[in-house]
Formats: sequence, C-alpha cells, structure tokens
Amino acid sequence: MEKVLSITAEELHRKMNCGEDILILDVRNETDYNDWKIEGKKVRSMNIPYFNFLEEDEQVYAGLPKDTEIVVVCAKGGASDYVAEMLMEKGYKTWSLKGGMLAWSQFYYPATVYRDEKLKIIQINRLAKGCLSYAVISEGKGMIIDPNQKVDVYLDLAKQHHFKIEHVVDSHLHADHISGGLQLAEQTGATYYISSGEVKDTNLKFEPLDRHNRIRVGEIDVEVLAIPTPGHTPGSTSFLINNRFLMSGDTIFVGGLGRPDLGGKAKEWAMDLYDTVFNKLSNLPDDCLVLPAHYADIQEINDNGIVGATLGEIRGNNEIMRNADKESFTEQVAGAVSMEKPPNFEEIVAINRGELQVDAEKAIELEIGPNRCAVHHHG
Amino acid sequence: MTDIFVDAKGLACPMPIVRAKKAIDSLQSGQIMELHTTDKGSMNDFQAWVRQTNHELIEAKEDNGVFKFIVKKG
Repeated sequence: MEKVLSITAEELHRKMNCGEDILILDVRNETDYNDWKIEGKKVRSMNIPYFNFLEEDEQVYAGLPKDTEIVVVCAKGGASDYVAEMLMEKGYKTWSLKGGMLAWSQFYYPATVYRDEKLKIIQINRLAKGCLSYAVISEGKGMIIDPNQKVDVYLDLAKQHHFKIEHVVDSHLHADHISGGLQLAEQTGATYYISSGEVKDTNLKFEPLDRHNRIRVGEIDVEVLAIPTPGHTPGSTSFLINNRFLMSGDTIFVGGLGRPDLGGKAKEWAMDLYDTVFNKLSNLPDDCLVLPAHYADIQEINDNGIVGATLGEIRGNNEIMRNADKESFTEQVAGAVSMEKPPNFEEIVAINRGELQVDAEKAIELEIGPNRCAVHHHG
Repeated sequence: MTDIFVDAKGLACPMPIVRAKKAIDSLQSGQIMELHTTDKGSMNDFQAWVRQTNHELIEAKEDNGVFKFIVKKG
C-alpha cells in the first residue's frame, strides 16, 4: 500500500501563505473543531469527524473535491493519517498534518516589521494561539518582548540575525500562554524584566520593569511606558521605540481592547483602560504603529503578514475608542466581556508566577486551544 | 451482561473507535459492548460517535486514567 504523505505545520503554513488552493479537512469531533481550528484568509476548511469515515458510506465523501489538495488534520496526527489513507485509496490528493493541532499550536512564524541601519523589529506570530512576540535588534544586541514557551525559536532567530539577547521582558503576567521569559533569560544570560505589581508575593527572579524608564538595546532606547498602561492586568506595561512603534502588550489590539475581567475586577480595570486610551496614550502621534501581544481574528494579519495598525487607524476604526464618554465606555468594555476564559488560565497564571511547575508535555497540553484575551466587539 | 469486551488500553486515536466499530458490528441489536481506553481524546470522540449512530451510550466514566464506555447496540 502506498504511504500517506505527511506535511509539517511549517510547510502547511507556506502553502497557505502562497495562496495555493487547498482544503483543510479537520477530522476532529465537531465541538473541538468549533472551539479551535486552523484559519487563514484564503483557506477553505471543512469538518468531518474521523469516525464518520468508518461507516463506509459514500455520502461522507460527497462534498470533497477531487481536483484540490486536501490537508487532513486531527488532534495529534493519528486519525488524520488514517483518513488520508482512505482518501488516497479513493484517488484524492491528500496530505496528513504531522502531529496534528498539537504541532500547529507549536508553530511560530517570524516576519520583519521594520528595518533600517540601526534598528530591526521582527514580529513572531504563533498562529494557532494568536500570540505575538517581538525581537528588537540594534547593533548586534537584542531584546525579546513576550516570548512564548518554545524558547528555541528565539535562540534560532538570534543566530540567524546575528544578535545577542540581552533583555527579555514580559509586558504583563500572561493568562493564556506559558511565558518563555525566565527560561530564555536563563539560557542566554539576559536580564528578565516584568512589572513587580504582576508577580507580587512570589519567589520569581526578575528585574522590576517599574524601575526602568528606558532599556538600551544597541543604539536604540526602548522606552518603558512608566505610565504602566493598565487595563488588561494592573501591572501591564507597553514599550515605545522612537515614538514610532508601540508594543502595546494586551492593552490595545488592532481589532479591539484588552479584556479587563481576567483578574475578576472588570469594572475597575475598564476604568483604567479608559484612562490609558484617552489620557496616557493621547500624546502619541497617529502614525505610531501599534504592535500588540495578541490578535483575535485572522483578518487582523495584513498583506505583509504582520499584525499591526497605526494609532490613527485604530482611533478611527474603533468605536469603543471614539466613544469618549467615560461612563458608557466602561459599560461597553465590561459588557463585552465574554464568559469564556482562556483554557486552563488559572494554572497558566500560576506557572507564570513561578508557583506551579509542570513537565514539558503537560505544559504543551495546557496551552492547547484558542486564545480568548481580546474583547470581541463589532461595530 | 457484557456481550463483547474491547480492551483498547494503550492504543492511540483513531484505533479505540476503529476497534469499537468492528466489535459492535459483530453484535445483535440490544447486545452490550464494553470498551476500555487510555486515550484522553476518546472521552469526547466516543460520545460524539455514539450520538450519531443508532446505538445507546449506557455509561461513560473515567476510572484511574482508564476511560470506560458501555454501549447498547441499536
């Protein structure tokens, strides 16, 4: 029997990016599919659970095209191999995603946001989670902002772009993913920074962000917005470079605002968020590019493969931001709060506070699932 | 009262359900199948599978890392 062709998450992403006509056939159960799936702007996706294929009912195959490449996806790669083999025998052009959604959740894609002689900014997009981290590089020195768990990604990046990681920062205590910050700092000898308000009463080894107005990276000053831009969590911080680039953490997103409810104080934090948007950031120019730590919708990725928008665009597009009345703003943000929390967020917070240790397998498992950190609002 | 017992412990997805399907095909309507598996994903998958068949899920429980299902053939 012919062997099923497998495709890695990276190869799949390349195909999706090239605009190749592919169909993703997700064979997990309907609940898992609706909760979390592979998305792309031009990607067609279909859900037929693998156990439907056991029935030997030709109807199951009715909607599947013979002239399009079909990438079969499941949770870990076992069921997709099984279904892809059945499809292959029937003459379909198929691939099976190696490692399934588990592998997809571990795939990170770097894209250069900006470069001149002195400065390079790279955005690292973890597509499955909608998590964004950044490398700020100048004169062979680098700062990593909000690194995720798989620290090899950043070590490889440093090798490839010839810089030494000197600073590692977390813009806030993450609730949706396990931070790679401390581990990356330990492996590179870099300093690990987080706002002390975020990790109060823990034994975590860190340099308090609140003690620094700026951090020097090569020839560049990264301003630590000492107005610790709250809103999302009380100690969350933003980073500003040359008044042109704002790494906004979870404070401002391209398509919405941070969720202030994850600390259980929706109303108070919504007030802080109002203050951030209308007072603390009001001096920043409209052409300042906002680079968030998350995105909620695949449509937020622009044609250059980057998630980001100028403050002007965000101010213009965002109804919540145009709504300058404090009372109704607060109400709107607190009201948009969804009941759905990020999966396993209590355990993830405990790990990021250094209070809970888990092995690598458990850590990967805890992170599986969608990101739910941005307020979804329409209008 | 189990008519057929399927031990799918240690098997990875999709094998527990593939085995279950084969086993239940060999039964008469009204007979009972019991399946044990250690595959974590099977809790949701197994129930979703049974829901769309004519069979009836009598019991689904976890016992010390082993997922146990009892199904009556429809």
